[in-house]
Amino acid sequence: MTTTPLPAPLRRADTPPVVYPIRQAPPIADAAYLASLKKVAQFYVVTAFLALFIGVMIGPLQALNYGGINLYDHPVLKALLKSYYQGLSLHGVLNALVFTQFFISGWLLYLPVRDLGARINMRFAWFTYLLMTAGLLMAAVPLLLNRSTLLYTFYPPMEGDALFYIGAAVMVGSSLLVAGQVVLTWWNWKKANPGKVTPLVAFMSVATWMMWSVASLGLILEMLGMLIPWSLGLYRGVDPLLSKTLFWWTGHAIVYFWVLPAYISWYAFIPRQAGGRTVSEPLTRLVFVLFLLNSTPVGIHHQYADPNISNLWKTIHMFLTFLIAVPSLLTAFSVTASLEDAARARGGRGLFGWITRLPWGNAIFSAQVLAMISFILGGAGGIVNANASFSPVVHNTAWIPGHFHITVGTATTLTFMGVALWFIPHLTGKRVPSMKVASVAVWTWFVGMMLFALGMHWEGLLGVTRRAQISATAQDIYQAANLAVPKALTAASGIILFVSAVLYFSVLFRMLLSRRMDNAEVTTPIPYSEAISPAGENLAAASPLVRATEPLLAYWVLAFLLVLLMYGPVLARLLSNLQLVPGWRLY
Amino acid sequence: MTNSPRPPGNPIPRLEHHTLERYESVWLGIAAVLAVLLFASTLASFISGTYPALRGEGGHHISGVTNGRLDPRNIAATPFAQPGLRENPDGSLEAFVVAKAFAFEPAVLRVPAGRPVTFHITSVDVMHGYEVQGTNINVSVIPGQVASFTTTFRQPGTHTTLCNEYCGIGHHNMINRVVVEAPQAP
Repeated sequence: MTTTPLPAPLRRADTPPVVYPIRQAPPIADAAYLASLKKVAQFYVVTAFLALFIGVMIGPLQALNYGGINLYDHPVLKALLKSYYQGLSLHGVLNALVFTQFFISGWLLYLPVRDLGARINMRFAWFTYLLMTAGLLMAAVPLLLNRSTLLYTFYPPMEGDALFYIGAAVMVGSSLLVAGQVVLTWWNWKKANPGKVTPLVAFMSVATWMMWSVASLGLILEMLGMLIPWSLGLYRGVDPLLSKTLFWWTGHAIVYFWVLPAYISWYAFIPRQAGGRTVSEPLTRLVFVLFLLNSTPVGIHHQYADPNISNLWKTIHMFLTFLIAVPSLLTAFSVTASLEDAARARGGRGLFGWITRLPWGNAIFSAQVLAMISFILGGAGGIVNANASFSPVVHNTAWIPGHFHITVGTATTLTFMGVALWFIPHLTGKRVPSMKVASVAVWTWFVGMMLFALGMHWEGLLGVTRRAQISATAQDIYQAANLAVPKALTAASGIILFVSAVLYFSVLFRMLLSRRMDNAEVTTPIPYSEAISPAGENLAAASPLVRATEPLLAYWVLAFLLVLLMYGPVLARLLSNLQLVPGWRLY
Repeated sequence: MTNSPRPPGNPIPRLEHHTLERYESVWLGIAAVLAVLLFASTLASFISGTYPALRGEGGHHISGVTNGRLDPRNIAATPFAQPGLRENPDGSLEAFVVAKAFAFEPAVLRVPAGRPVTFHITSVDVMHGYEVQGTNINVSVIPGQVASFTTTFRQPGTHTTLCNEYCGIGHHNMINRVVVEAPQAP
């Protein structure tokens, strides 16, 4: 934080500097095992990007719709997509559910296993990948046939084919197998290394998987307990309010499942990629424990507009939602400090002048830092959405898709796009064919998403609803003059994002189709960063915060209890007033 | 990707543990205070009544409605069978609105300006949303559930009512009106 150079380094005399070597992943001697581990991670990541490719190609149609331009009646498109709502369902499911889950399953299986130098059962890992893919394919059939055009929230009593619900449940359920394998691997490491501090990347990964296992229970309960038996005709009907409440048990926490894997890169790898150091490992561990505890019991803030849920519980969940902003604010501090550290190491000067010294031309770096900038704005908007007084102004308006395109659509997606540019070379030994094209792609993604968000937030404030084919309404209520500017911004953003996606995927596909060039263990190692305040290796000698955050299993149990406490009374009341209604197919 | 060396002969003091730890603690304090302040100010806005809060249990006194629930296949037994505004013997106003694919009933709801109106809304098929443009009325309409809230329209005029929850192929055409009429001279 010093802005003027001083003659001697600032260091207290009584604390001699401890030099920690930059961490390297423990070596794995068995080459066949390492190759298989890398292969399974690669399969997850490539499947993720294939889903993103299809999903993103549909995106501009949605943006143009909110620009007042309806392309869905074009004969060529009509042959592919039955309606705007089918296109939107595919866009949402592929981008928000499939891309994220597959990428994270590969990323957060590989990282902790390498971080611990563990040997996992590769048969089980491959089985999980195949199961997840089978679930995806099962759900894809009714989606593509317009037999489950339910959007990605699939609220009953709008009804889809049983195959959709079963496939989605299998897909989400297999992510829990990854979670189980990672947690078990960590537990075995703990037993083999008593008294040791869990290394940071493994710690963050395990905490994320534990959080997701608590969070995903709501969706699993909704699927297994209600939607699957209902769609198979075993129940007389479905309770849409109970179903929606279970959905949002998972549905809000899922955003932390999307963003924490990005945080892992921001904390552990970006400092190195920028030439600096991670700020504080103990603080980072605290952040992840807070997310583990507090991510899930906040979901009812998505239901302020729902009847028959008591205002007391809505208010409690609102307070917990505000609290979850705290670990994100801590992240903003730490990551920015590590960037400043990097920039000053590169000769950066001045209060803000150091910013220019960061490697902005490197797409791996710039993608992730632009993602962070986007997340500052998205996070601020999220606090608005979580506020019961503001919520009625923005609920289900175009503001909401504006919001989540700069959170999951940029903070997460753009981070993963940047990460893939070193992670895929690391897994495959292939090279990024053109960092320049990749760089243009990530910058245009950022600009496109900013414009999209501006246009959509603006339209939302003027009362334009979300998820509506506003370019094809029979009444011309969306032609008002004050909508012209935001509509133009939104339409333009669709074109920019289309160009960005074409550039990015051209780089990605050229890389994947190229030949293996390098021994990636040497040329592209996992970019661990040095830490200014490391956690240390021995628990006995570690700081109180490190010791307090180490027992993750206890926090896992506590997280589960918190969810029971915060959802139990609400669900009990819904169950005791169960109101089953029949299903409908209106698409 | 690697640490670039510092320029020789020009040592730049780098961030160090103790300074950072202080800043961190201050920042953590600010973040926590921010969260609590946000909560307190929202509670204050509940009390001042800046938005029409939903009842925890909708339409509890309405015939045919139990615990805020009704059977969407049998609204004939409830006041929703005749959607629209009704004036109770005690002079209070209640508006019954039914959402179905793809329209609200009544298509034009007429309410007087300046008098509190209690809305009761339900759906007879799938989920809908009841958004009255130019107001902060924004409610989920769920089959089997009654949403109730009280609001006062201050100015005469016409508002568009939109469905803002996906309800099928005609969702974007689910557009009706609320007409706020000037109070009649006694």
